[in-house]
Amino acid sequence: MPHCAQSRSFYALTAVTVLTTLAGLIPTLAFGHTIEGSDANFVQAIDGPAVAPFIYLGAKHMVTGYDHLLFLIGVIFFLYRPKHVIEYVTLFAVGHSMTLLLGVLADLRVNAYLIDAVIGLSIVYKAFENMDGFKRVFNVEPNTKVAVFIFGLFHGLGLATKLQEFTISDNGLVVNILSFNLGVELGQIMALSAVLIVLSIWRSNPSYLRHAFATNTVLMTGGFILASYQFSAFLLQPAY
Amino acid sequence: MHRPDTQQPPSPRGILIAVAIAFIVGSAVLVVAILPAEFGVDPLKTGQILGLNALAAEANPFEEQLIPHRTDSVEFELGPFQSVEYKYTLDFDAPMIFSWQADGELYYDMHAEPAGLGADYAESFEQGNGESRTGSFHAPFTGIHGWFWENRGSRTVTLRLHASGYFVDSTVFRDGGDYSRVINPVTD
Repeated sequence: MPHCAQSRSFYALTAVTVLTTLAGLIPTLAFGHTIEGSDANFVQAIDGPAVAPFIYLGAKHMVTGYDHLLFLIGVIFFLYRPKHVIEYVTLFAVGHSMTLLLGVLADLRVNAYLIDAVIGLSIVYKAFENMDGFKRVFNVEPNTKVAVFIFGLFHGLGLATKLQEFTISDNGLVVNILSFNLGVELGQIMALSAVLIVLSIWRSNPSYLRHAFATNTVLMTGGFILASYQFSAFLLQPAY
Repeated sequence: MHRPDTQQPPSPRGILIAVAIAFIVGSAVLVVAILPAEFGVDPLKTGQILGLNALAAEANPFEEQLIPHRTDSVEFELGPFQSVEYKYTLDFDAPMIFSWQADGELYYDMHAEPAGLGADYAESFEQGNGESRTGSFHAPFTGIHGWFWENRGSRTVTLRLHASGYFVDSTVFRDGGDYSRVINPVTD
């Protein structure tokens, strides 16, 4: 029974994917998703344009950013054609680039915890959409492209707050923000490629659709965890 | 052979149950682990049971030290192309604050050598040319921590250093030799 054996191995793959995602989540949660340690010292010490370091920081932020990654997994979960992946990811990128640039350049100050809570909720929203919840429970079909774009705006504000936590020198600010943004897009392409490889291996098996609902439930759980964690931080963390 | 069923569209009830499960599991993780570990809030005492509360302990701004601090002032006169090295003996993590000022430009190199390992393992923190520096320092390891100054100009320069910290003595390296200076605690 070759099919059963194959299906069992895909169960294993599913389990491994979910477990590694969760395992990856736990240590990073403990630190929160900010720019830290020697990276933070670097950002604060910088005075003048530093293209490569900011590209690196942007890419690192995206690749290690489980909140952005979970959302992207939700977005591309049911996108099979490369054309659609590119369309949606571009909408997301345009959205977050706008608010990242605007946020830092116009010195728009928003509470980082609240923005990160909304980013967590964006994962919940996307998972609910993937479960067909809007159509079947509420009998409405919100435009998926508009949603990705709007959440892109929030993710960008989140990125902006991470940079605003530091007193960044005005010297070379525009070049540095653009470099950071470019790094974010590069990191996104790298992370997306990895996610797409895993998803397309899994997609070639019927278990993908069978477990799609369960996978999106797990995704939604992750969204609830992130949102409630950030909202707790907003309520409990002293603001100096 | 068993064939997997075609995916049934989820019922509204099934969707709501899944949302409820996601919400409950998410809330449980929050209350059981995240609140105690991140914020020291422990409503179910799970932080205490699992030992997560320790993770939320914030760094206390107060650091106890075992010896009274000492204050030191030294003055060196450096002729053209003369140099001196001056270092405090500090234990790992012991703090020290300093200011030095010279009446002419000096080359300086703030660095440290781990105890017992000597100059081969020296670590440099800052080098440059200038007439003054002020700073604070936490010893990265037990050993001697201080400065090398060199007068690369053509006239004599006088250098004054003031430092306070949890050191007991210092060592002067000059003209190929070295000698120790004992520094008295402020409470004597």
